[in-house]
This record gives sequence, structure tokens and C-alpha cells, in this order.
Amino acid sequence: MPTVLIPAPLRPHAGGNASIDASGVTVAEVLAALTSTHPALKQHLFNDEGKLRSFVNIYLNDEDIRYLNKQDTAVAASDTLTIVPSIAGGAQ
Amino acid sequence: MLRHASACYPRECCGILLGAIAEDDTRTVTTAVPCANAYQGDQSDRFELDPKDQFEAQRLARTQNLEVLGFFHSHPDCDAYFSATDLANSWPWYSNIVISVRQGAYDHARAFRANETQSESHPEELQCPQS
Repeated sequence: MPTVLIPAPLRPHAGGNASIDASGVTVAEVLAALTSTHPALKQHLFNDEGKLRSFVNIYLNDEDIRYLNKQDTAVAASDTLTIVPSIAGGAQ
Repeated sequence: MLRHASACYPRECCGILLGAIAEDDTRTVTTAVPCANAYQGDQSDRFELDPKDQFEAQRLARTQNLEVLGFFHSHPDCDAYFSATDLANSWPWYSNIVISVRQGAYDHARAFRANETQSESHPEELQCPQS
């Protein structure tokens, strides 16, 4: 079963876990399984239209899924998904 | 961290803080990872971290049994405050060090943490033995 690595800010919404195994053969399916088990994660990962929030990045092993097939990217049981928050800012 | 801030002047620098959290919730930064500013525009008052750098920092933290505690960036010729832009583009939980650099030299620094709804931020104390 694929493993999802959870960044620290989201762990309170994921039962305190740093990693969670979730079933699925695409990124979308794995994230759906993850948010089904931990519903509080959903609002942090997806917008009201059900799309992945712009400031949430998902890596499949070493690759950003934006440069693969996005949420339709195929996932194997041995794969790892990493949730990476976008960070920006500035003085103005 | 401070060398990176001076080297990037008059552009904003940015980077990632790795460290540990004690049982009393004291956060100690043990490693500051300097990163390239990925903002596509005037970097004198904006920064953006490349997600790939964060991905690599998360992996480094796991291998060293550390945690990504947060991030740092500089404000060239400005005070070290947590701006509305900083707040809007931050995440809760993470610590954020802001470094004031004036005329290319370190002036002062402060740390902030956003609340859960990112509606406001609060100053915090961070232990940074090697800044």
C-alpha cells in the first residue's frame, strides 16, 4: 500500500501521524483514501471545488506530480507520496 | 543564515530551518538550509521557496531524525516584521525567522508563528545556537 508522508502542520489533522498508508492506484485515489480516513485533512488539501489547493504540492517519490500526470499519475504499492507546503512572502 | 541574508542583499533571501522540539515545546534550530529565491519578479521585497528544496529538506530532516521547524527570509532595508504577505503565504505551526538587513549588513531578526487560521501571527522565541 502506498505511503503518504504528512508535514508537521497537517499532523494534528491526521491523528498525529507523520506517515500514513493509504490504498489507491492513482494519486487521486490515494488522497481520497487518506481524506476518507482523516476527513479533517480534506479542507487543507482541497478547495471547495475539490481541486488540490495551489499551495499544496504532492511528490510521487522524487517527482512533483505537476510534471507527471497530476492527480491521474499512477501509484504503485511501494511508492511514497510526500505532501509539501508552498511557502512564500515578502516585506510588502 | 545571516551570511546568506547578506549575500543575497538587496534581494530577499530564504531558507529552511531544521531542528528539534523538546518536551517543553522549546524549538531549537540546528541547521539552516540556504535556498535560492524562486520568486519570478522583483526579489527586493518578495521571496518564494522552490517546493523541490522543501522536499529535499524534509528528506534530510527524516534522515537526521530532525523536523522541518520552519523557514527564514530577509527584509532588505526594512525591519524584521511579519508582513501581511508573509502571513498570507505562511502555514500554521511553522516558525518563521525574519532578518533585517540594512546596507548589506545584518541588523536584527525576529521569529514569528502564524495562528491556525493564519489571521494573525505572534512573536516567538527560538533557540538558534549557530545562526
